Amino acid sequence: MSFESVLLRNRGVTGSTTLKVYESRGGYQAVRKALKMAPDEVVEEVKKANLRGRGGAGFPAGVKWTFLPKDRTRTLLCVNADESEPPTFNNRVLMENDPHQLLEGTMIAGYATRAQIAYIYMRGEFHEPFHIVQKAIDEAYAAGYLGKNIFGSDYALDVYVHRGAGAYVCGEETGLIESLEGKRGWPRIKPPFPAVEGLFHRPTVVNNVETLSCLPHIIERGADWFTAIGPPHSTGPKLFCVSGPVKRPGCYEAPMTITVRELIEREDMGGGMLPGKKVKGVLPGGVSMGILTADELDMKMDFEDPRKYGLLGLGTAAAVVIDEGTDIRIVLRNMARFYGTESCGQCTQCREGTAWMHKIATRIAAGAGRIEDLDILLETARNMGMMPGLSICGLPDGATYPIEAIVKKFRGELEERIRAQPRGRVEELLKVLN
Amino acid sequence: MPKITIDKQMIECRAGVPVLQAALEAGWDVPHYCYHPGLSIVASCRLCLMEMQMPDPKTREMVWSPKLMPSCQTPVKDGMVVRFDSPAVRKNQQSCMEFFLLNHPLDCPVCDQAGECYLQDYSYKFGQPNSRMVDPKLKNPKKDIGPKTLLYQDRCVMCSRCVRFTQEVSGTAELCIVNRGTRAEIDVFPGKPLDNLLQGNVVDICPVGSLLDKDFLFKRRVWELRGTDSICPGCATGCSIRIDHADGVVYRLKPRYNPKVNAWWMCDEGRYGWKYVHDRKRITAPLVRRGFEETTPAWEELPNILRFRFEEHVREAGSGKVVAVFSPFMACEEAWLLAKFIREVAPQAALAMGPVPLAGEDQHFPVGASGHAVKFTILKEKCPNRRGVEMVLAAAGGTVLAYDEFIEQTLAGAFSAAWIVGGYPAPWVDKNAAKVAEKFSLLVVQDLFPSDLLAGAAIVLPACSWAEREGSFVNAAGLVQPFDRAIDPPDGVKRDGQFLYEIAGFSGIFRAERVRELMAETMSAFGEVSVPPAVAEFAH
Repeated sequence: MSFESVLLRNRGVTGSTTLKVYESRGGYQAVRKALKMAPDEVVEEVKKANLRGRGGAGFPAGVKWTFLPKDRTRTLLCVNADESEPPTFNNRVLMENDPHQLLEGTMIAGYATRAQIAYIYMRGEFHEPFHIVQKAIDEAYAAGYLGKNIFGSDYALDVYVHRGAGAYVCGEETGLIESLEGKRGWPRIKPPFPAVEGLFHRPTVVNNVETLSCLPHIIERGADWFTAIGPPHSTGPKLFCVSGPVKRPGCYEAPMTITVRELIEREDMGGGMLPGKKVKGVLPGGVSMGILTADELDMKMDFEDPRKYGLLGLGTAAAVVIDEGTDIRIVLRNMARFYGTESCGQCTQCREGTAWMHKIATRIAAGAGRIEDLDILLETARNMGMMPGLSICGLPDGATYPIEAIVKKFRGELEERIRAQPRGRVEELLKVLN
Repeated sequence: MPKITIDKQMIECRAGVPVLQAALEAGWDVPHYCYHPGLSIVASCRLCLMEMQMPDPKTREMVWSPKLMPSCQTPVKDGMVVRFDSPAVRKNQQSCMEFFLLNHPLDCPVCDQAGECYLQDYSYKFGQPNSRMVDPKLKNPKKDIGPKTLLYQDRCVMCSRCVRFTQEVSGTAELCIVNRGTRAEIDVFPGKPLDNLLQGNVVDICPVGSLLDKDFLFKRRVWELRGTDSICPGCATGCSIRIDHADGVVYRLKPRYNPKVNAWWMCDEGRYGWKYVHDRKRITAPLVRRGFEETTPAWEELPNILRFRFEEHVREAGSGKVVAVFSPFMACEEAWLLAKFIREVAPQAALAMGPVPLAGEDQHFPVGASGHAVKFTILKEKCPNRRGVEMVLAAAGGTVLAYDEFIEQTLAGAFSAAWIVGGYPAPWVDKNAAKVAEKFSLLVVQDLFPSDLLAGAAIVLPACSWAEREGSFVNAAGLVQPFDRAIDPPDGVKRDGQFLYEIAGFSGIFRAERVRELMAETMSAFGEVSVPPAVAEFAH
């Protein structure tokens, strides 16, 4: 049974990025409908749909909007298109194939939050999506869909695209806000939360591209239709990425009842492993959430189930399949390297801890690991993160979960490989390095 | 005043301050790097984390929060309960110290900061004795970031205090952070070195040995230095400072916290303006001329010689022919003693104010700020005590002249005997002053450096720099601020205060405090001096 395409319904349609084709397929009807509702009714509808943020943390979008102060005079909307999580490309697929869906969602969110300006903060490396989205914005302005008096209402919205400069941490909402203000992308200390004091000291809402892309469908088809898809805590359609040695790597849409195994095996999704390849492990939610072993593939890709497997959460729902033949030390090192270079350097534990883990993992990968290194990795991972209150943002949590999970779940292989190292290799390498 | 409980101990604290500040003021040594009371709060070093009681979201009952909270960012609230002595807090401090030292070069033996370094102190108090990192350390570069400052990036803990200082206090924003993560570095923009009049403060607020003062570089180990509380004589602001000295030599000046005057800061003019103290050109022996005869009398003889000479002159020319010129670098006590002596030997003598050095305009910081936004001011009046001396002269009564009037009247022949006090750090005797010297048949010059005045002087007295004296200055805001003597005067020089004490008819050791008591009998302003509150040693 294949699933109904909702978010990706225009993918593969010729000219899907143009206003004409988007409208001919029923586009821009939802926003017309929303503009006839009161803003708070839109918020209520989204709250009823229990639309949880698709950016990674899964916070309900409608609830986030209600944190805005009631007496605000100006609200700013930021669209988080800084998709930088390593194996993740669902926002890119949405922007490349259906930019008007994002714009329509932006308009609905803007109307619901009474924002008159929206900034799309786009990852710096997204050249093509930038041009596509910018062209869509130009088209929308030309058609009178953006700017003043949208669809004959008195609602006005201006949309700008701002391109980032290549920092993972700018996907964190306050890092994004700082970067938009022209500063270093250093996440802010909270409180105040962006809803109270965000961009340019104004009440600010930051929503992910995929979250906003869901909005037209919620408005058009109603919250009840939305909640009927997937389990009650994880409603609505969701994009899943799968990459690695599968037959059909790519971005697929499904309700959040799907399991990791299905994502890999289904004919209309991953299509199974490449000939001769076997699953060793899967990083199911981008890299920051942790790792699953080959025995844990029945995990449901929703907002709740991953916790049962020692993962941080659903994350970006982008699964990387690791082949049996891959040396787990290389995976460990790749994880550590990413966070070692992407920590913003603000908080001590994250700045030094990620770099230290990178050094240790690199040495282990180079065949000069020590058994005690694994314990140091585990302890370092425990000594950082936002959840124990040790950092300003969640980046170090994302950095420690995969490392901790790899060391815990693949400790046998790691120890085996370390024991198989030639005698004296550690001393030899350290002598050269130091 | 809110009451909060720290480690089961109830304390009263100032309203609105962060818990960290309250704890430091109440005597808790809470480790911290990024927090500085004079700068904005970034809560990024994560060292000062505490445990705090929070209401449970469901039951509203007070429970210990599952997360550690930054005490620098959490304002005190009445009834708050926090804990610094818990295992989780200690564990974090320990792991933090390990992280800070991972890439630190541990070059304490050649580091100027050693001895007053918060990496050292916290490592001893809160850290762990061994390092578990075997991999090579990251070697961040050493950089020359300005004419007076070096940056050793490898020692940096990225507290960002220096960056915030240039943004928020000096307002010049030369410093920035470049690169990311563990490779993040403090840097200046190309072609724009750290060069502003407050830049020396970044060295003071750097909790480690990363920012270094080129002037003090490798000069002395800091534990050999003795600190003496003093007041900066550089301008009329009168910043509270500490003179760091050893073996009779001044090595550096550091600001002291004074909420009424300079807060935590001082300017570079003051910071580096003390070099004249050790100038070899200073006058180091008294000189007495009679006809063509020049002698160097013993200091013990001088009071009698001076008294005799002035009395002799008054008998011949009358006491109205005597004038004393006071320097705005004199302490109030010294001015009072001199005025007392002059009025004793010549009751009709005129008292004159010496030249008041002015340079440019008042400079406010942050650059461009005005009104309440001003955090620091360098005044154009480049002397510490014009107001104090004026107060003493006014209280002394009789004829009091401004400097111009003194020149004018002397050239017109009004005076034939004078006691002129110099003590200026820079040459101050201009053509006018040199010209008036010819008019005196009895001229006593008390000064630091030789000048054209000396040629016509009957008696030359070597003066002391402020570092060698004690007394009080009255700053532009009218605060009477005492300062202590740091070093001994050069060989052959007697402390001005002691000498004036003796010629004014007192015996024993000169103590400024005792003289102030006497002054307070007629000048109530000197009954109480302004001393800034002491700051706990571990609050930095």
